[in-house]
This record gives sequence, C-alpha cells and structure tokens, in this order.
Amino acid sequence: MSISEAFINSILELDERRAIELARVRISEGEDPLKILEELKTAAEKIGEKYERGEFFIADLVMAGEIMKEISELVRPRLRELGKTRELIGRLVIGTVEGDIHDIGKNIVVTMAEAAGFEVIDLGVDVPPWKFVEAIKQYKPDIVGMSCLITIGIESMKKTVDAIKEAGLRDKVRIIIGGGRVDEYAKEYSGADAWTNDAATGVKKMMEWMREKR
Amino acid sequence: MKELVDEVRERQLKEPEAIASERLRRFEEAVELKEPDRVPLMFFTCGHLLGKYYKLSEIYFNYDVAKKAVSRAFQDFPSDIFIAVPAAEGFILSLAFSNHPDLAPFVRFLTGPMHDVLGDKYTKWPGRELSEDKPFQFIGGEFMSPEEYGKFTEDPVGFINEVLLPRVCVNLSKPGAARYATLAKLGMAAKDYFNALIGMGIELAKLGAPSLSVTFAYTPLDIIGDFLRHPTHVMIDLRRYPDKVKQATEVLVEPIIKVALALKPVGAKYAFIPLHLNEMLSPKLFKEFYWPYLKKVIVELYNNGIKSFVLFEGDHTPHLETVLELPKGWGIGVFERADIRRVRKVLKGHTCIAGGVPVSLLQQATPEKIDSYVRELIRDVAPEGGFVISPSVAEIAAEVPNANLRALINAVLKYGEYRR
Repeated sequence: MSISEAFINSILELDERRAIELARVRISEGEDPLKILEELKTAAEKIGEKYERGEFFIADLVMAGEIMKEISELVRPRLRELGKTRELIGRLVIGTVEGDIHDIGKNIVVTMAEAAGFEVIDLGVDVPPWKFVEAIKQYKPDIVGMSCLITIGIESMKKTVDAIKEAGLRDKVRIIIGGGRVDEYAKEYSGADAWTNDAATGVKKMMEWMREKR
Repeated sequence: MKELVDEVRERQLKEPEAIASERLRRFEEAVELKEPDRVPLMFFTCGHLLGKYYKLSEIYFNYDVAKKAVSRAFQDFPSDIFIAVPAAEGFILSLAFSNHPDLAPFVRFLTGPMHDVLGDKYTKWPGRELSEDKPFQFIGGEFMSPEEYGKFTEDPVGFINEVLLPRVCVNLSKPGAARYATLAKLGMAAKDYFNALIGMGIELAKLGAPSLSVTFAYTPLDIIGDFLRHPTHVMIDLRRYPDKVKQATEVLVEPIIKVALALKPVGAKYAFIPLHLNEMLSPKLFKEFYWPYLKKVIVELYNNGIKSFVLFEGDHTPHLETVLELPKGWGIGVFERADIRRVRKVLKGHTCIAGGVPVSLLQQATPEKIDSYVRELIRDVAPEGGFVISPSVAEIAAEVPNANLRALINAVLKYGEYRR
C-alpha cells in the first residue's frame, strides 16, 4: 500500500492519530502539500460514498471532518512557505436560513466542503433572503447552500429562492438545501435543485455539479 | 359545506366529557396494541402552531395568551390527543433537583419566564434574543471540557449544580444572595407554569380533550450532548475518550430514573423521552453508548407501571431492531423520518407506533393529495391496531395551511374506522 493509500484509509477508518502522524511525516519529508490536500478531496468523496451505502453516520462525518480540518491546518503553513495556493474546485455561499439559528449541520458541511476544495463563504445563522442575494452578487458563487433544522426554515428557504429569482440570479447558481427535516417535498416547495439530510452526500452532490460545470 | 371535521368540532362543544373518554380509550387501546374503534389522531406542539393565532413572543411569555391559543388550536383542529408544551428542553434542571422529587418534575421544561430568571445560554427566545414572531430555539453549547468528565462522573448531580449551571446561567453565576434569589424566582416561575398547564388542561377539557398523565425521562448520552458538551463535541468524544463518556453515561441512569419516578405517586402513566443523538450514531456506537442506558431507563419505568413515550427523532431505521429487546407493550414510539411502513413491519404486535405524516407534506401538498396519502397510510399501517396517526415529531409551522390540517383530520375520520 502506498503512503497515499494508507493516508486516505486512515481518514476513512477515522483513525485520527494515524492520519495526523502520516500527514506530519509527509510534510517533514518534503512532500508537496498540494498532493496531501488533493487526497483530502478523494477522501471527502469516498466518505460521501460510504454514507450513501449506509456505512457512515453523522457521528462518523463529524469525526472525519475533524480529522480533515486538523490536516488542512497542519498543511496550510507549509503551503504558505512554498508560496503555493490550493486550486479551488468551486465557490459555495452557505448559511442557516432566516428564523433558524441552529448550525450543527451547516458547520459539518463547511468543514467537509473546505476539505473537498471548495471556497466557502459562511454567512452564519438566521440569514435573511436579501443577505443571500447580496452574497450571490458579491461573491458570484457556483452553489448556494441553505440549511435549517426547524420546520419554519422550509418557508424561509422558499422565500430565499424566490428572492434569488426576483433578483434575476436563479440561473447563475445551483441551490442545495439541507437539514434534518428537509426532504423531497421541501425541495419541491422551495424550488431548490437538490436536497440532503447529511453533509457527506451534500458535498458529494456539489462535487458532481462542479464536474458537470467544467 | 360541512365537513367531517366540523361535525367533530360541534360535538366536542356539546358533549365534551363523553368525547374525552372516547378519545382517551381510543388512544389507550392503540397503546395496548389493540384495534380501537378508529385510528387515533395525535397532534403535538411546542408552540409553533400557535403562531397562527398570536405573536409567539406573547404565547411564550404570557400564559393567558398561551391558554387562549391552545384552545383555539384545538377547536380549529380537533384531535384525539393534543399535547401542547409551549416551552423548551430543560431536563438538566430536573436532574439538578433529582434528589428532591417534590421539585424535579416542575422544572422539566424551560419556559420563557424561566429563561428571563436564569439568563441561560441554552435557549433563545422571541422578543428577547430573537424577533417576536420566531419560535424559541434550543442551541445548547459546550459548557464542560473533556478533561472534566472524571469530575462529572464522581458526582454528576453535584457537578450540574455547582459547576455546570453557574456557567450556563448568568443569574446563577454569582454566589450568595444573588444565586438564592434566582433559585427562589425559578421556583415561582415553575409554579406559575404549572398553574398555567392546569389552566390549559381545564380549557382543553371543555373541548373534550383528554389529558395524559405524564412524567419525564431522558437518554444519558443526550444529557451529555444537549447540556454539557454539545452534540458535535460528544460525537468526537466517543472516539477520543470512549471510556470517560461511557462512565459518565452510566452514572446518569440512576438520577434520570429518580426524576421520572417522582410523579409515580400521583399516577404518572407515560414517560416522555425525546431522542436526539440516536440517528447520528452508527449502529456500533448506538449499541455501545446510547441504547444500553436508554433501555435500562425504559425497562425500569415499565417495571414501575410507567410506559415510555419515546420520540424517535430523525431516521431511526438503522437501530429499529433494538426496540424488539424491550418488553412487548413497553410504550409508544413516535417516528420522524423512518419509513413508517418498514417500522410497522418490524415492530408489529410488539410496539405501538405513531407518526406517518411528514410535516413537509402538510406544508406543501394540496388537501386532495393529503387525503390520498392518509388513505394509503391507514390502509398499509393501521390493520390490527397499535397505530396512532400523527405528524412526525417535527413542529407544525404556523404557515401550514389550515385547509391541509383539516384535510388530514377529515381523512383520518373518513378512512380510519376499523371494521368490526
């Protein structure tokens, strides 16, 4: 098994100590930090597949996200030293919609999306529709992610999608909604392009969109 | 045109007592895994639905308004069992007083006025931290470091009182008179709420709504996630400090049961238990850290004549088979996102199940679609009893069209009768 395979496997096995140790060794041996980050992208995709197959649960995603975050932080100073920047696969504007201040799910998405190579603009919680619209104008994201936990959030998602339409920006972005109480009905109602109950399949979907776009 | 729901609305005004006992019998027969005369319909709300009538900030902070809202909701949308708790999760306070059964049950829920008294950081409220038309929200937080698991395990109730609550509640953070005054005010606020609940019960009884005699329990690991470490951190702790987490959950079983049994002498029949981390855990983690302790609580209550009323939040499908480890007829399980037909198949003849109607369907579909959805649901799930139809755990938002709620009630009345 190559060191890359061992590294990716340690993340998939949620073996925090081993994953960090391998990353440290690789950095100290002068390996290109971009390669390590590229492998995080592979890991993120595999995590999505594992979730879809029912082998991973939210608690596993949280741990995997934590490990990937630690590795990104480990790699970042080395990247800076070399004057390199990571090639981003896409830009995501994300927030918990108006009226809802829960952010557990959204934060897992942010961690995993960053690990997968997205530039993430996190608008925080209780984000009103106009703020999403402003952020789309300002950052020109590929994807807009909306999160909610409580059911009033579904209404806010619809209002936000409507506001994006009114601003004439609907065809500029793909919209994904997510959260524990989101489903096909909520997607239809809100007018989003996709829905997810978990961060892993959400990130996987977004990666697919970016591939289509290329 | 007068619809079936309107006939019920008229009848419950005319003969509330008769209809209340019919409703209670219908529910209890379903819980006993029998076929009642009709599939019972259950609604519950922590207040969102009541936003149809008044500003939520008024509902949560003015019990007279809450009382009126609850009555209006029940008169507009009659059901067999209506559980209205206009308050937030607050089981940690019951645990703090678990050695005082005369106090513990009365601080089970954190109300708006109690939030004002305590200044807690767990919850945010309309007209306080949130705008006036938004429901309260429980966000929890990280109030204990992983290094403190050991200290917690040595004396959980002491830790909650001496270390945790002063960190969580601004008004309990200062020692001496300030702290005692806060506790005295908390007692007064709890008594006000208790009286308000009695008042609501009286108003609802005038409309033929039976009241269930309930008590409260919790899952040990959810105590740690909801009140001590935050769910995200506890999920990481399970990997980093598995033994410490397990020891902390073990010591919580006894005080939780103590809280639940506090209302046994006054005839509590059902113990309300919401589950939070369940769907987030893999079967392996669930079976190791979550289920054994929840099971202990449920079985101990069952042995004391109390049936558990468990809200299986999220998608409980991966853990469904574990429910069969409980004694037959142990209680009632309300399922949120799990496929109710599959739940039924696995638990038939063993567990009374509730749910089946996604809140998002109520929000988005047409009355016609709801009618056909309910017809098919009842056809597939209701035969042989042990089924209570209800929206699935999540709150019914005020924006859900009245016509859709009426369509749900009409459909249950139309298709829910058991043929004799």
